[in-house]
Parts: sequence; structure tokens; C-alpha cells
Amino acid sequence: MRRVLQAGVCAAIACIAFPGPPLEPFSAGSLDFEHRNSPTAQKYLIETMGGGVALFDYNNDGLLDVFLVNGGKLDDPQRLPADYRRGDPQYWNRLYRQNRDGSFTDVTETAGLSHAGNNYGMGVAVGDYDNDGYEDLYVTAFGRNTLYHNNRNGAFTDVTQEAGVSGAGWSVSAGFFDYDNDGRLDLFVARYLDWDFSRNLLCGAPFHAYCRPDKYQGSTNLLFHNEGGGRFRDVSKASGIAAVRGKGMGVAFNDYDSDGLPDIFVSNDGMEQFLFHNKGNGKFEERAVEAGVAYSEDGKTCAGMGVAFADYDNDGLPDIAVTDLALEKYALYRNHGAGQFSYQTLASGLAALTAQSSGWGVALQDFDNDGWKDLFIAQGHVLDNIERINSGLHYREAPALLRNSAGRFERVNLGPQPEIAGRGLAVGDLNNDGALDAVVAVLGGRPLILRSAPNTNHWLTLKLIGTRSNRDGIGARVSAGKQWAYCTTSGSYLSASDPRVHFGLGSEARSTVEILWPSGRRQRIPDLAADRIVTVKEPE
Amino acid sequence: MIAALLLFIALQVTPELRQHVEAGLKAKASGDLDTATQEFRLVARMAPGLAPAWVNLGAVYLARKDYADAVPALRKALELNSNLPGAEQMLGTALLAQGFAAEAIPNLEKAQADDLLGVALLESGRPRDAVEHLEAALLKRPGDPDLLYYLGQAHLRLSTDAFESIRRNNPQSPRTEQLLAEEMRNSGNAKAAQLHFRAALALRPDLRGIHYALGDLYLSSGDYEKAETEFRAETKLAPGSAPAAWKLGSVLLNRGQVADAISELKRADMLQPSMPETLLELGKAYNAAGQSAEAEKCLKQVIAQEATGPLAQAAHFQLSQAYRKLKRDADAEHELSLFREMKGRESGTNETAARP
Repeated sequence: MRRVLQAGVCAAIACIAFPGPPLEPFSAGSLDFEHRNSPTAQKYLIETMGGGVALFDYNNDGLLDVFLVNGGKLDDPQRLPADYRRGDPQYWNRLYRQNRDGSFTDVTETAGLSHAGNNYGMGVAVGDYDNDGYEDLYVTAFGRNTLYHNNRNGAFTDVTQEAGVSGAGWSVSAGFFDYDNDGRLDLFVARYLDWDFSRNLLCGAPFHAYCRPDKYQGSTNLLFHNEGGGRFRDVSKASGIAAVRGKGMGVAFNDYDSDGLPDIFVSNDGMEQFLFHNKGNGKFEERAVEAGVAYSEDGKTCAGMGVAFADYDNDGLPDIAVTDLALEKYALYRNHGAGQFSYQTLASGLAALTAQSSGWGVALQDFDNDGWKDLFIAQGHVLDNIERINSGLHYREAPALLRNSAGRFERVNLGPQPEIAGRGLAVGDLNNDGALDAVVAVLGGRPLILRSAPNTNHWLTLKLIGTRSNRDGIGARVSAGKQWAYCTTSGSYLSASDPRVHFGLGSEARSTVEILWPSGRRQRIPDLAADRIVTVKEPE
Repeated sequence: MIAALLLFIALQVTPELRQHVEAGLKAKASGDLDTATQEFRLVARMAPGLAPAWVNLGAVYLARKDYADAVPALRKALELNSNLPGAEQMLGTALLAQGFAAEAIPNLEKAQADDLLGVALLESGRPRDAVEHLEAALLKRPGDPDLLYYLGQAHLRLSTDAFESIRRNNPQSPRTEQLLAEEMRNSGNAKAAQLHFRAALALRPDLRGIHYALGDLYLSSGDYEKAETEFRAETKLAPGSAPAAWKLGSVLLNRGQVADAISELKRADMLQPSMPETLLELGKAYNAAGQSAEAEKCLKQVIAQEATGPLAQAAHFQLSQAYRKLKRDADAEHELSLFREMKGRESGTNETAARP
């Protein structure tokens, strides 16, 4: 057992940091999903990018359920028009309902999610866009995206057409957030390359490999404003989001300049990253370079994949972590206030910990409840033949847990872990024991479920219910003691995480919680007892 | 042309012969090499004992790149008169052009044609002699790409010969292991390279450069922990090596040991002052430590030495970060605009990620 003395929660009293293997593979036999990406000799780029995972409570029974996005069937070479055979059960997206005993039941068919339409699936976003108290799903794809309305009876209905959010092209990560704080969740969709089968290039000699993104033009991202009544309006151009063309992969939201408006970070592959500053008048301005979050310390671009937008140093300002490819080092940008960040990959020790790895889904969450948000990353190289290019790198990698020790990171020994082509990652408390669990979506394989063992540190989880704000409370800034968290389901890569706000409290058995709701309303709950899940309703 | 003039001077020229010589010269001058060949063949037939007649014929063959016919004509000319200006060089050229490098050497030596002689010596397996003549030729034609190419080839041949000699005569030596390791590394087989470098060290633990090479190999796969061990070992063996100190400092910076990195990078800068690579790392380290004013000094030195290129680009970017922290917003903006200008120029270039 390891005891540490550190600043913050554990400043004066010893607290526990990862006493044993903190996350262990959990076999949920009934969760038998197999991601099918249909790799071909043509090395179609879409093959190596999926898929996503969502942890959300679709039936409001208090237990997180699991939704997994599948790819589709590809021909080798692809015949056009493409038929991805999503009607075949092996290519279905799948919804698994969690049972009281921790097992899962495949409810895909009864939930009406069995046929995803003729597309190649990518990721998923979760949010209660109609404020009816039930989480809805938005599934991205190469091709048509799909919005599924939760019917409140265990089933979903495809409402994409009526809602006007089908998008087009190659959508990757997406997320719900309320950019104008009008109480209705809007939708942002990150799009990757302007690519299709007819323009696919074969790259690499003497053997083929997936092409670099600079072989293709980028694409614009999409922003849909929730108009109410189940309809959205495409405001991509009007808002300025479409003024820049990127190669979007991950998306996350937070209020980096503390002006009460959610901003957007988009991780781009092989070019500068995007930080869309919310100007508050329905318009956004891309300011990544000015804010110091566009490049590495050398001014180099990276292959941005996933993103976490959270406060890792407990100073009340959200920081940004971006995963990328091996030899690039995952980027960590520390928010200094006044809209300025600095590259902290070197000083935080993250460079040496991540230079050999390729990261995708990422979360900044407190896995050992010591009061500091740790980094958890789904890993695996984008190239399935990377070993032939650099024998020191690996296609399949185990996920990594990097413990945050007062702002410096160190690797946690996870024990034996399967080496996988990790992609999507969602984090949440599957068994409501106060220790965060994770599900990693695996390219061309079965998902990896990792369950945490609780330690003696205290914790507090808040389920927010907005009234004047959106029902999910997405965008609320929550503090517990000196810690801050932002209510969101977004971030990571292709995935949606538990919307509940989780705090590790170390040795503190009680904490005062303050919430700044998106409506602007402030709520203070003094001296809240720890080690429980508390539902907090926004005052009317 | 000289030979043609000599022909007229030497001859008690018949009007008919003069007519053919003039026609040949005229045709050659106008590029009509077929007519020139016919005319000079006729001249050689009419005056077979006149060396200049054969020189002219050989020159036309050379102009036609008909080296096989040029050789006997020029040899005949030299038989008749061994002092004919230009004939030796032409004959050497014709022989060399056909790959008869060794045969060409005496003619080119007599002609004192350092450039062609250097090539002939190289091609006949005498790279050491070739170097001398090619360097002499380069003094007359500095920067000539052909000469530089052959000079490079000559040095390459010399180094290959030396390495082969090590391998042949000392197959079990640490240097042979080092050579094998370098070959493996250059062919992209990092694991085999590591094994041979380790074997070299086992045979001679104090061999300088091996730990450095191993450190570089580990860096190429992002293994900073092992790279640090190797660069530390190299700095212990070679405390005066600035590159080893620089690499160690850079690795320490990437491992988050900022204070130690600064110390090692300062040492590298003392050992080899003003190396821009060291100064850039030092600037980055100072920035990471929040010592922005110190960072500024280093980064400005980088830019003073490297106005363009990746080092300058990175230095402008780092400088903009330093100025931000120093609240010098106008300077930060200026550096950022310079960085963007450079970035715009190199857009689309390959960066660090390992992808084809």
C-alpha cells in the first residue's frame, strides 16, 4: 500500500493513491460486441479510425448502460455505391443494458437501434436534447449521422430527418453542449477529411500503409443550434465554425476564459489544433495559436486524436490534454488564465511517459480519489504495420493510467493488460461504488472493460438536474473544496462518458459543493457527506 | 581549331586539300557533323602522314560522341606527332568515355587534366590518388557538382575499403561490431543494431560513441529512460563531448527534470559555445522553468545564427511564449507572426509522426 503526502486534498493527512492494480479487466460475458472494421488491402482510412463507446443510463434505472458503435462491411476493393451491410447483425451498433448484478443484456433490437442505415459507423454523443429526462443518442459515421430520440420506454426513434442533423461526409467525434445557455443542448460535430473511396490513395513503399492526413483536404466542422420542438438549425457558417477547415478528430467543451460561455476544443490530425472561443453573440472565433494550444513546444503540429478539457492542477481553470501518435508526446496545455495556456508536456513529465505511445480516447478523471485528476488513455498506433516502419513502436498497446501527483504524472502499473488497438474511451462509475471505471472501444475487436477497486479515499458523485439550464446540467461548473469539474458527456475520442460529476476527496469525509449552472444561477451545498451519489436539482 | 591552323601552316597545301579542310571546318562550325566527318576522312586519306589531319578527324568523332572511332584517329595523330596540343586530352576523354579508365590515365596525366584524371583514377580503383586530382580540379571550379560527386565517391570508396579491412583482418573486434551496428541502424533494423552496439561495448567498455549511438536509437523509438542511461554513460566516458551533453540535457527536459536539464545544457554550451541546437533546448528548458528572460537570451542567439529553417522556426515560437509570460504582448505577436510566416512557407512538409 502506497501512502503519499501531497498538496491539495492530501496536504496534511496521508491519503491513498492506487493501493493495488487500480483498474482491472472485467469480463462481462454477456457484453459480446465485436467491432468490425473490415480491413482491406486498399488501406481505406476509415478502417483504422473507429469506433466509439458511450456510457449512459438510457432507462434511468441508476445504472450506466453501454452503447458501442460498429464500423461496417467494406469490399476489397470497394464497389460503389457502397453497401456497408449494417442490416447484418454482425455490423449492428449495440446497446447493452446493465443489470443489477453487473451483467449486461443486449437490448439493441428492442431499443430499435439494430439498423444504423447505410453508413460506416464512427462515434457517439449523448445528451437529453429535448429535456424530457431521458438521454438521447447521436451516432456519427462516414456517411449519414443519426439522431436517436429516447422514447422513454426503452426504445429509440431515428429522428434525424426531422431534426435536420444528418450531416454529411466523414463525421468523427460529436458532443452536446449549450453554447448560448438557452437551456437547450446544441450539437457540435467534428469532421475529418474530405475523403471518399474514389479518391483513396495507396501510400507507402515497398508495402502499403494508411496515408497521412496531409494527402487529403480537411473538412469543416458542424454546429447545430437546438431550436426546440425537436429541430436543429445548421449554424456552422453563421457562427464562424465553418470559417476554418480542419481535420477534426476529438471535441471537448469547457469555459476556458471563465466568461460563463462554453468554448470548443477540436483536436486535429496533422495540423494545428482548434480552440473556438465563444464570443457570446452566437459566433465563435478560432484562437488556438493566440491561446498557445495549437502546437507543441517547438511549434510543430501533432496528429491530434482525443482530447480532455479539465482542470488537472486544481487551480480552477480548465486545462487541455491531447493524445497523438508515437514520437510526438501527448500534449498538455496548462491554463494560466486570461485566455493563455502554456505547453506543460515537458515539465509535467508527460513527454517521456508518452513518447512511445499512440493515444486516442483520453480522460482526465480522478481514478484513485486522491483529489487529483489522472490521465487514462486508450492506445494503439494508427498503422497496423507500424512495426515494419519503426521496430521500436507497436500497433497494439495496453491502455495507460498516468497518476497525477500534484501536477506531475507518473505511470501506474496496471498489471497484466491486453494489448489492443484502442480507440474510443468512455469513463463512468459502472457499479456506483465511487471508483471510476472505463470502457475502451477496440478497433476490430471486443471492448475492454476496466473496473476500479475502491480504496479508502472518500468521494462524491453528483447527478445534476437542470431546470432553467438544460436538463443534464451540461456546462455546469462544479467545485468541491479546491477542486473544479465541468459537467459534460463529451471529450475523449468518438465517445460519451458518464454525465455525473465525480470528485475524489482523499481523506476528506465531507465537502462543500458549489455549482455555477449554465443559466448563471449559483448553488451552494455546504458540508455534504462524502461517499455517495447525490442528485442535485437546479433551483427553480 | 588549333589543329586545323597547324594543318594549314604545316602543309604545302594543294588547292584540293585546302578546299576539303575548309569545307570540313565550316561544316563542323555549323554543326553539320556528318559533312565534317566526310571531309576530314577525305583529308586523312589524301594526307595520311599528317598528324593534324587525324587530330581533326578525331575531334569530329569526339564531337559526335563516336568514341570508338575517335580513339584510333587520335592514336594515329599521336603516333605521327606526340606533341600535338589537345590530342592527349581528347584521347583520354574518348577512352574514359568508353570505360577504359586505366588506359586513359597516361593521356590525361600528360594533358594535366585534373578533373578527368581524378575520375579515371577513381574508376580504375585508385581513390586515394583520385582525391588529390579532384581537389585540385575543384580549386579551379569550386562547387562544381560533378567534381563534388566524384570526390564524395572517392572518399566513400576509401572509407568502405578501410571498413572492409577492419572486418577482414579483425572480425571479432569491437570496431567490427560497431560497423555492423551502424549498418543495421542505417537499414532500419534498430533491434539488431542495439545487439551489435552492446557487443562492441562488451568487448571494449570504454569505446566512445557507442553509448551515444545507443542513446540515439532509444530516442528514435521514444524510450527516454533508456536514452538517458546511455547519454549519461557517454558523458561519463567523454565529459568533453558537447553533443553528448546536449542530448542528455534534451532527454532530461523531456523527462520533466527541468533543473537538471538546464544544468546539462549549460555545460554543453560551455563545451561548444553557441551551438544553435543546444541553445534552442536551453531556451525551451528555461521557458519550462518559467525563466523567460533567460529563455529570451538563448532563443535570440539561435535566431542570430539560423535565420531560417526548423531551428529558427521553433525559436520564434518559443520566443513568442517567453514574451507572453513577460507580458510583452507586442513582441509576442511579432514573434508569432514570424513563426507563422515560416510555417506557411513549409506547409505540407513531413513532421515527426511515424507514418509514410
